[in-house]
Amino acid sequence: MNIDKYLDVIKACRFCFMCRHLAAVGNVTFKESDTPRGRALLLDKVRMDSKNMKNQDYIKTIYEAELSASCRYHCVNHYDEVGLILGARQDIVESGNAPQNIRTVADDLKKVEFTVEGTGDVLYYIDGYTKNHQPEIASAFLQLAGNCKTISGGDCGKALNVLGFAEDASIVNEKFKKAVKASCSSTLVTSCPASYDALKNDFPIDGINVMHSSEYLLSLGSINKPSKSINVYCIDSDYLKNYNNLTAPRELLKSAGYKLDMFGTNLEESYAAGEGAVIYDEICPELMKKLSDRVFELADNPEKDLIITFSPYTKFALKKSKPDFNAISIEEAILKAKGN
Amino acid sequence: MIFPKFFINKTRYGAVDNMLMSNQNYTYEMLRSELTWVVGEDYVKTDDSDKLGHSIDYYWVPELWHDRGQKGTVPDFIVHPGSAREVSEILKLANNYGIPVIPWGGGSGSQGGALPIYGGIIMDMKRMNKVLSIDPVSMTATVEVGINTQHLEWAVQKAGYSTMHFPASIACATLGGFIAHRGTGVLSTKYGKMEDMIMSMEVVTPTGEIINTLPVPRHASGPDLTQLFLGSEGTLGVVTKATMKIHPIPESRKFHAFLFKNMHEAMAAGAKIMTSRLHPCVIRLYDEPETAKLIKRVLGIDKQGAYLVFGFDGPEKMVDLEMEQASTIAMEQKPEDLGSEMGEAWWEHRYKFFYPPYMFQLPQAFGTLDTVATFSNIENVYWAMKNTVKENFPQATFIGHFSHWYEWGCMLYARFIIDNPPQDPHEAIALYNKIWDMAIRAAIKEGGVINEHHGVGLKLGRMMKDLYGPAFKILQDIKQVLDPNNIMNPGKMGFKGAR
Repeated sequence: MNIDKYLDVIKACRFCFMCRHLAAVGNVTFKESDTPRGRALLLDKVRMDSKNMKNQDYIKTIYEAELSASCRYHCVNHYDEVGLILGARQDIVESGNAPQNIRTVADDLKKVEFTVEGTGDVLYYIDGYTKNHQPEIASAFLQLAGNCKTISGGDCGKALNVLGFAEDASIVNEKFKKAVKASCSSTLVTSCPASYDALKNDFPIDGINVMHSSEYLLSLGSINKPSKSINVYCIDSDYLKNYNNLTAPRELLKSAGYKLDMFGTNLEESYAAGEGAVIYDEICPELMKKLSDRVFELADNPEKDLIITFSPYTKFALKKSKPDFNAISIEEAILKAKGN
Repeated sequence: MIFPKFFINKTRYGAVDNMLMSNQNYTYEMLRSELTWVVGEDYVKTDDSDKLGHSIDYYWVPELWHDRGQKGTVPDFIVHPGSAREVSEILKLANNYGIPVIPWGGGSGSQGGALPIYGGIIMDMKRMNKVLSIDPVSMTATVEVGINTQHLEWAVQKAGYSTMHFPASIACATLGGFIAHRGTGVLSTKYGKMEDMIMSMEVVTPTGEIINTLPVPRHASGPDLTQLFLGSEGTLGVVTKATMKIHPIPESRKFHAFLFKNMHEAMAAGAKIMTSRLHPCVIRLYDEPETAKLIKRVLGIDKQGAYLVFGFDGPEKMVDLEMEQASTIAMEQKPEDLGSEMGEAWWEHRYKFFYPPYMFQLPQAFGTLDTVATFSNIENVYWAMKNTVKENFPQATFIGHFSHWYEWGCMLYARFIIDNPPQDPHEAIALYNKIWDMAIRAAIKEGGVINEHHGVGLKLGRMMKDLYGPAFKILQDIKQVLDPNNIMNPGKMGFKGAR
């Protein structure tokens, strides 16, 4: 079983409570099983007796994990609880126990056809959320970045990987790689933190420099700051912060004259509404709603505050739950600062 | 149909034993319907995942039980009430059906206090997690007690204050859990334990009445009900709301560390600091074995002796003055001065001791022999426990530190560790209990009181008669009057079980 590779995590987490305050799903369902400790306990049961792999309650719990990686980031020893859950999902899929709703979503994700358009040295990847729900993010980026090629046509493999369909994820990613190589670009930029993580860590492409849009925009040089700074709240991305420790989004926003206030009460909790699970809105819509509601609850003044979300998914999730929530992406914020 | 554990229980011979009420399957559904009517479908859980999570707390025995592949006792229902009224309704239902109710906060108690040992209803309080108000004039906060204490501290800090409650379990426990066990944090020497922090509480009694204790903790209006419910571990009712003190963020907080030749000299220094009526926020003294084991591992100090750290906070001028006075007292014993850097390092890493792999973990057997005594008795308590463990259990290591200090004495956080306990779970638990039985009784003989901040729970219930003597009857009578049907957390704190 894949979870056997994470025996150290199971042993460390099964009786440890030290990150439970950061269990994003646990904080809205209040369930003990929706915490790293709870999940490690039930996977310990699976490890002891593989028959437990078929337990529908256990499977449901494993797919409800939001994979924010706040726990791993916080942990003194950075035990890889996310790796354990991904291993468990892979075991569930490989043993033929994936629930029907998960298989349906996975089947859709396998249908990809990547196309490259435009001209320029830089290739900009427009992920599914940006393409289908928030074209304004890509539009803002392309206005700021100037001449770029674009690639789109589906998820680059991250979502399938996160669902436990590792083999299918590799097949899809091979198609993506082929399209990228054919574009002859050496720099690949994306606004999607999950894709950034996939292309940087899960499926790196030889000879291709992968950048998050904030890194790329920062590399373009100074932006004329407005005379008066604008106070904004930032909702971090799980993938940029907890997975990759990327500081570029904040640096870029500061360089554009924004004064960044802390959203909520702390910088440790994930307010990304399930971003770590990539397509959480599709597999756990009710939990996505609960996670979004907690964000609204923690906002100082949800009617008036300007919120900058570092992930297109998060903006989508929050707006889906509360259409008038005043959230914009990094790209839109920079465009706004430039007076466009 | 799988019958819930509460309704049907197999005896060890395989026969079905009707426990407290009907074993007819529809009764389970009747109760589930009633609970759902009170709290809503989303907040009544019966899934295997959550039952497993609620069958193990931070007590070594259920951890071992799980580790050895044994089946633990799980609750029949897990409910998440959203208000005192809902708590009241659930308790009335439980009285009607005669079903145990076990309040659950963060589940991080080390005494088995929240374990559903008879099945029944786990009342998980985490949904009641709101900060209701902050009174900047009186410097108090009124909160629902299901709030995680790190979330509480963050919320209070955002308003410009602090609870000054910084326990190792800040990230996992709820305020209600601390109230239930008279918990404490690392700054207790200045800011007090939970019983000093709480002003007043809303409590739902076992029969469902919603009551409030008096609004201030100092009065001459008879015995104090706030103190009656504090530390009652869910046996006398359910605390739903509390008003607690909050504090300004201090201008300065500084630490200083010393290495004494031995624990006795360090104890003399610590006691003199307290009896001189200085007001440190922290004093912590590690005995020689713990200095060699944990201080070396976490702080990297590889020297023989007893490590002592103290800290002061408040206006900087006062901090500097008190620090100077305390250092002068410490230097009378001629310790090695480790400086402020090694003191600040302790503060920075104060929680690190409790993360894996720094914390002891299975297969090791380990227990915290938490006791408190006066300065006259505390070293005798230490030696009585240490010698008992050493002489009777040569396979065990004994280490200890003194964590929470008062004008009159301090708390001993002694621990025993066995690296390779028996594989058979029954044998392992028997050995474990024997160490507790002997060590704690030795401490009581020397004037020690079992337990300063972990509580009694399932683990130490059998010691309550030894500890209280005839006075325990008063506690039993109070329990009987408040909880005539014995539904509240039966079998804990030495009170009778569910039969």
